[in-house]
Amino acid sequence: MNERSPRTIPDITRRRFLQGSSLVGFSAFLAACSTPGTGSAAPSTAASASAPASVEPVASPSSVPQSPSAELNFANWPLYIDTDADDETKHKTLEDFKAKYGTTVKYSEVINDNDEFFGTIQPALQAGQDTGWDLIVLTDWMASRLIRLGWVEQLDLANMPNKVANMQDVYKGVDFDPTDDHHAPWQSGMTGLGFDTVVTGELTSLASLWEANPKWKGKVTFLTEMRDTIGLTLLKLGKDPTQAAQADADTAIAEIQKAIDAGIIRAFTGNEYAEDLVSGNVVLAMAWSGDILVKQAEKETLAWHLPDEGGMLWTDNMLIPKGAQHKYTAELFIDFVYDPPIAAQIAAYVNYVTPVKGAKEAIAKDADPDVAALAESPLIFPADDVLAKVKIFKTLAEADESYFNDKFSAVTGN
Amino acid sequence: MNVRKRLIALTPYLLLAPGILWLLVFFVYPSIQMFISSFWSGTLESGFTASPDNWTTYTKALDRYSPQFLRSLVYGGAATIICFLIAYPLAYTIAFRGGRYKNLLLFLVIAPFFTSFLLRTQSWKIILGDDGILFGPLKDIGLLPPEFRVLATPAAVIAGIAYNFLPFMTLPIYVSLEKIDGRLVEAAKDLYAGPWRPGGTIAGGVLGALVGAGLAAALSYDLIIFAVLGTLVGIVVGTFFISQSFLRIVLPLSLPGVFAGSLLTFIPAMGDFVNAEILGNTQTRMIGNVIQSRFLENNDYPTAAALSFILMAAILAMVAIYARVLGTEELTSAR
Repeated sequence: MNERSPRTIPDITRRRFLQGSSLVGFSAFLAACSTPGTGSAAPSTAASASAPASVEPVASPSSVPQSPSAELNFANWPLYIDTDADDETKHKTLEDFKAKYGTTVKYSEVINDNDEFFGTIQPALQAGQDTGWDLIVLTDWMASRLIRLGWVEQLDLANMPNKVANMQDVYKGVDFDPTDDHHAPWQSGMTGLGFDTVVTGELTSLASLWEANPKWKGKVTFLTEMRDTIGLTLLKLGKDPTQAAQADADTAIAEIQKAIDAGIIRAFTGNEYAEDLVSGNVVLAMAWSGDILVKQAEKETLAWHLPDEGGMLWTDNMLIPKGAQHKYTAELFIDFVYDPPIAAQIAAYVNYVTPVKGAKEAIAKDADPDVAALAESPLIFPADDVLAKVKIFKTLAEADESYFNDKFSAVTGN
Repeated sequence: MNVRKRLIALTPYLLLAPGILWLLVFFVYPSIQMFISSFWSGTLESGFTASPDNWTTYTKALDRYSPQFLRSLVYGGAATIICFLIAYPLAYTIAFRGGRYKNLLLFLVIAPFFTSFLLRTQSWKIILGDDGILFGPLKDIGLLPPEFRVLATPAAVIAGIAYNFLPFMTLPIYVSLEKIDGRLVEAAKDLYAGPWRPGGTIAGGVLGALVGAGLAAALSYDLIIFAVLGTLVGIVVGTFFISQSFLRIVLPLSLPGVFAGSLLTFIPAMGDFVNAEILGNTQTRMIGNVIQSRFLENNDYPTAAALSFILMAAILAMVAIYARVLGTEELTSAR
């Protein structure tokens, strides 16, 4: 009989299956590091000549004639722009923009996590290269970090009369961009209590999250977003998240640890808590307003409340990364979405708080009564007394930020 | 002629060249880069500088993250044992009883690989849901207390890892079983190799008790119940299924497959973070989760790099010991 080395066959299988595993690993790697295709260097002169001159905004002070480019690379979060009910790749806002300026917006829903996305653009920005994106959307604290690092283009406000006129006052003069010329809010949301009313009843206080009630013990989630979880914890303790200092981090972490030790907290999650609320694995959660509004379609008994102690307000902001190929067109786009009818069109779909004045009036005039009714939604257009109760987490200096992150990592098991 | 000879002599190197090049570019170079970055200090914003004094990163990392290291070892080890316990009978049945369905059965083993790793893990969340298709009915009829749950506990993480890596254990074992010459077993029977009693009963009982107690310890479940259950199952298996011919012929000849399979399961299981992320909670974080969050969330590249190297070193050491104990070299020379 033909003797074969006993190692031969296991080696072949092993190699074959190493291939398999490397495929799994490789796709995970791709998912983790997907870098955008480098934006084609279409010179701005190639822009469509059909763009009517009348829509050109006031010429910039440098008075260099500029025209919109043929394309715009826009990175955003999933489910964050109006989408056609029948065709997920169609977005009316983007089509309207094309009709007006002739620019094809290459819209990519690639941002799932601030840190993760930062990881994909950081090498290019650090090396002073173009990231391939003309417009990105990041949450306050990450926007603040990018601005601090000098990785964001300054906006030419002369190109954006709508933005100057229509941005809600509450967003003006934030500490990371006092002159409002490096960022433009896309949508805002509130962090508060999300729960299943059938199981928990009506809840209004953050203290419920620390209550070892058998109805929800072990079925409570906190958020992995450090500023939301620590912010709500500070509010529960009667402290002010807009003034958070290092000592407050210690206090808040100790408080969170209590809930972990008591077996109340099931997990720290990102968006996944919304699925778990629907399936019943979780009945009480620190939750984002828009998520619950969307999930009510699947489970009517879900509710979102702004806690009595107050809630957190966060904003996702449009930024033009340093070295963007189509800066001028990106500015036109920012201005375009600050036009109230367009802002209303986006808000009616995404259900988050819109930063644009006049969007409420525009949405109320919608022909569809269901859409027009959204003008009365307290989650999309919060009343002034609600806005007075929500806090924006303090912009942390780098040393403080790493202190907070480190403490928070430790309590979440990292 | 001379040229031809030289070419023939060069052939092995030419054949190796693409592989070596691949390793140099995608393994050696990044490893060196990462090793250097483990000696960095500084922050993303102020920039990083490397200095040999920063070796303390390693001691600090070990100090702070030893629970997660230990957890990875325990979860990876438990998952490997579970994989072995499921895979061996499975591979045995396919190899010796599969008949004309062999290929179909093998295909079924790898069929889950046609869907994404993440998706498969995610679907366990649905199966194991607190009121899901598995526990919902059991709770309704009162077999389980209402607060019982598996999700967000070590059991879910270990089960997830065992599920995801099962084919890596099954296939090498199958291959080594499949090429065993059936006539060896027949010859053994001719030479009076019969059932193994009472040896099988005793060995099965002892091994079953150990595995049961070990798993209970890993899952922090009741030690006694698991040990007793393990003993009972072990006794039954040892008494009725383990024959002398299996013990003396089949098992030793299949050890290279077991060796390869357990390495292919254990090494990735140790570094896995997806299962702990999706199925676990704060108290089930593994070292892979820590490395991921240090890299991507805290921008703490030095600690992440140091942790990766500690993990690599630990795995290499364990594999070396394992190879000494159950090495393929000795097995092949014994034949």
